[in-house]
Amino acid sequence: MVDYRFTEEQELFRESMKEFCASEIVPKTEKLTEVRRMPKEIIKALAKFELLGLIIDPEYGGLGTDVITAGIAAEELARADPSCSIPVLFLVGTSWGHVIDKYGTEEAKKEILPKAINGEQIIGIATTESDIGSDLGSMKTKISKKGDKYIINGEKMYISGVAEAMEYGGGHVTLAKMTPDKGTRGMCLFYLPLKDTKGITPTYVEDIGREAISCGGFDINNVEIPKHYLLGEENKGFYCVHEGYELARGLIALVCAGAASKALENGIAYIKERKAFGRHIGKYEGIQFKLAENHVRIQALRELGYKALWTYDQEIQGKASRFDVSMAIAMAKSVASIWASEAINDVMQWQGAFGYTKECEDQKAWRAVRSFTLAEGSTEIMKLIIARELLGKEFLAYR
Amino acid sequence: MKILGIEIILDKCTGCGLCVKVCPFAAVKILNKKAEIEANCTLCGSCLEVCKFDAIVIERPKLSDKNLSEYKNVWIFVEIRENELKKVSLELASKAREIADTLGEKVGAVILGEKAKHLCDEIAAYGVDIAYIVENKNLSEYNTSNYTGILTGLILKYKPNIVLFPATHLGRDLAPRVAASLEVGLTADCTGLSIKDGLLLQTRPAFGGNIMADIISPNVRPQMATTRPNVMKIQKPDHSRKAEIISIPIELDPKALKIIIKEVVKTTKAGVKSLDEADIIISGGRGMGSAENFKILEDLAKTINGVVGASRAAVDAGWRPRTNQVGQSGKTVSPKIYIACGISGKIQHQVGMKSSDTIIAINTDREAPIFDIADCGIIGDLNEIIPALNEELKKNLCKN
Amino acid sequence: MKLIACIKQVPDTTEVKVDPKTHTLIRDGVPSILNPYDQFAIEECVRIRDQIGDCSVSVLTMGPPQARSALMRCLALGADEAILISDKAFAGSDTWATAYTLSLAIKKIGFFDIVFCGQQAIDGDTAQVGPELAQQLGIPQVTYVEKIEIDNKNKLTINKQTEDGYQILEAKLPLLLTLLPPTSFQPEHPPMSSILKAKRKPFNIWDVETLGGDKSRFGLDGSFTQVIKTYTPPKRGECELIEDNPKEAAKKLSKILCKNEALTKR
Repeated sequence: MVDYRFTEEQELFRESMKEFCASEIVPKTEKLTEVRRMPKEIIKALAKFELLGLIIDPEYGGLGTDVITAGIAAEELARADPSCSIPVLFLVGTSWGHVIDKYGTEEAKKEILPKAINGEQIIGIATTESDIGSDLGSMKTKISKKGDKYIINGEKMYISGVAEAMEYGGGHVTLAKMTPDKGTRGMCLFYLPLKDTKGITPTYVEDIGREAISCGGFDINNVEIPKHYLLGEENKGFYCVHEGYELARGLIALVCAGAASKALENGIAYIKERKAFGRHIGKYEGIQFKLAENHVRIQALRELGYKALWTYDQEIQGKASRFDVSMAIAMAKSVASIWASEAINDVMQWQGAFGYTKECEDQKAWRAVRSFTLAEGSTEIMKLIIARELLGKEFLAYR
Repeated sequence: MKILGIEIILDKCTGCGLCVKVCPFAAVKILNKKAEIEANCTLCGSCLEVCKFDAIVIERPKLSDKNLSEYKNVWIFVEIRENELKKVSLELASKAREIADTLGEKVGAVILGEKAKHLCDEIAAYGVDIAYIVENKNLSEYNTSNYTGILTGLILKYKPNIVLFPATHLGRDLAPRVAASLEVGLTADCTGLSIKDGLLLQTRPAFGGNIMADIISPNVRPQMATTRPNVMKIQKPDHSRKAEIISIPIELDPKALKIIIKEVVKTTKAGVKSLDEADIIISGGRGMGSAENFKILEDLAKTINGVVGASRAAVDAGWRPRTNQVGQSGKTVSPKIYIACGISGKIQHQVGMKSSDTIIAINTDREAPIFDIADCGIIGDLNEIIPALNEELKKNLCKN
Repeated sequence: MKLIACIKQVPDTTEVKVDPKTHTLIRDGVPSILNPYDQFAIEECVRIRDQIGDCSVSVLTMGPPQARSALMRCLALGADEAILISDKAFAGSDTWATAYTLSLAIKKIGFFDIVFCGQQAIDGDTAQVGPELAQQLGIPQVTYVEKIEIDNKNKLTINKQTEDGYQILEAKLPLLLTLLPPTSFQPEHPPMSSILKAKRKPFNIWDVETLGGDKSRFGLDGSFTQVIKTYTPPKRGECELIEDNPKEAAKKLSKILCKNEALTKR
């Protein structure tokens, strides 16, 4: 049957991860949200602890671990950083590092991956545009071939880590259209360096949460990239990008589980201390019911998340299909943000008026977790994927 | 399933898991719906007490019928510092007297040093009957191997029933060495000693002070323990008492030593009592705000003859030397009065001071865990309260 | 050269709470960890090995099968080989019996230059196993060691904490050290690459049969001390809270202090 235990390496890693977070992350989280930038020291600390190349091929400086190990890191980081900014940096770098590792040319891998793994540069993802999100087929950014180069024109918006890539170095795995009339079958995926690239003009927006990582967009005006930055084949970009998205979604499920389980722990400590009407509020049925319901949901979410990543690992080993992966990942992601934010919302409610102040740690997690109904594939898209797998291709929505 | 000493009666065990929950050492697990004891079991008996089905039996080895009666008298190892008795030596003498009276035995004191005779009268006043003196210029500084050899030899020759050491840096280095060479038991850091059924009942805290254990050493002699400073009460001295003095001559070759002291560095000021010996400790923590601010604690210490200590946070901030640190990675103290100023009182700090007689906490945060263990707590700003308290005390103490 | 580190897996006593009502120990969910003193010992041991070169570190513990994870951590921190001494016959060991068991294992390893131990373990706080082990091995010891330096002639310079400062000692090999982490000590947390390496290092499990020795000296039978009872210490009385302006508060506290014998008996 099923063996729910983590391997010995994974258990040791989690233990080490918890200590790393306690000494390197937790003491810094309070200051972290003051500026909308991931501090370079944090990225360096993550790199020093070897978190930025966990699943990357050792040939390029990674460790070649399984994907579940990355899930453990995501969960623990979210427990440590309620704003989920560090988890976002981690999961984006991990997922698109993996895509570069899998689809990048040898030259690109040697150029990009070691620097990302040692924290000198960051890797981001840029598919969204001002009015294009889920409907990637209608994307306006264009890529065309010119000799041994590609020329890109367009704009990207609501992208994480733009400031970090512009300032520290690094770039974004970017999707653009090559063959306009072919929809999703006419797209290319490529690596687009941002820092010092002629023709890139950044703009910034302020997210309501995840304050320690930048969000923004960039105009792409006749930007040239070398041929070896193409990821996968021309016109197959849509399929490559999904492997990154699926990994990111699986990791998000565990980020949500981590943030919510930490909030519930805070809540438990609180309701054991706080008194109202002469008793500890933990003695009231209304609170106990909520606590129990949330606990079950978060544990279920955690298991869906690890099951999804396990399926992802199985697919890498050739033991599961891409459809198995899509289904498992979509299931976990479809409930992750909603269950987590409801649980955290309840914890805030227990804390009364204090729960609605900025001094309450849990509100940071609440605002952060809210983003994941949208980021890396909306909740609605997750449901469409699940329905597609249940009903069959002939019932594909919107066709 | 049977292991030495402890047994699960399988017919009675329902696998309910209560014993797993209470085991302080995580030494019980449930296997095939029955409790199973792991090798790290200390036979403390916690599981026995909670088992609703009487399914756990502990069989302790029977008292030995070896003739232990030839071992008589209660000994103490007398620690001296700069040619004077340490306070803990007086505590040991007082306690030994009490135990010897219960047993109808004598109190022996072993004093090692370059010069030691001048201390015999003083220690006798606290109840010592016989002083065993070993004087040698090579004994002026403590040395593990010389001291172990001498102690072991004396114990083998004179066969004491009980030997008590101070649980100081020196005592905790020496006592286990002597116990191992004699092949006898040793209980560390006792906070209580009494006689029960003719045996020395040794009480000590364990598990970060969260549990207490009563320990006996029934089958071998002497029964040995180290005793935490500042816990045992010092009895009123009787200066008319005299002790019989037995001088033991000894020759020591300093060249035989494998470990040589190159340099002795003292970081506490001369004349200032060490934390371990102080009756009153005033400790400052993060809430002190700066190194300079410790001045108000030092002023108060002067008034009430106390010693200033610090929490780890204050030491880490570089406000105080680390010899001042009280707590898990610092010193364990148990003064008569402990005043914690601006110390939140995390468990790591509590471990080092919670056996103090009276604990007073001054903190602005009413939720600070220090208030859970304090006898008296003041919620407020120590910068205002400490100077005011100092003035009050100066007034009141003059009156007396 | 050969260095040996003796370690212990302990419940994290700082996570233990006492039930305020029943006054019993709550150890649900308390993790088992590598004794923090031993973490410092193993880090120093590995540092000295790296400095000497041509030298290996064996780490050993006496404990239940679960103690494997503490040893794995030591391997991840850089030890070369782990030995788990595990047998139900060791249950109920006091410090003497523990030291005896460890001494047999060290004799079985055969040769060594320095034995590293933590000053004490946070569950028992006895600080006795180190010195008792040194005595049984017939080697000198230095306790309360805060700092070690080794020169190219294998001469050790040691800082030993004393109650009022420290001593600088010079020592020859072999010997046993019990180490006390300085307050500034920040434990290292092994990254994943070290964990993966640790998995490939030799891991031995020795039982009573492997060790040999006198069977009557193991576990409870070999222990000279017996725990006859454990209980939670009596709860302190309620805290008397004073909330007043500083002057009044100081007055009230002064009154309380003046009644205390530590002040009256001066």
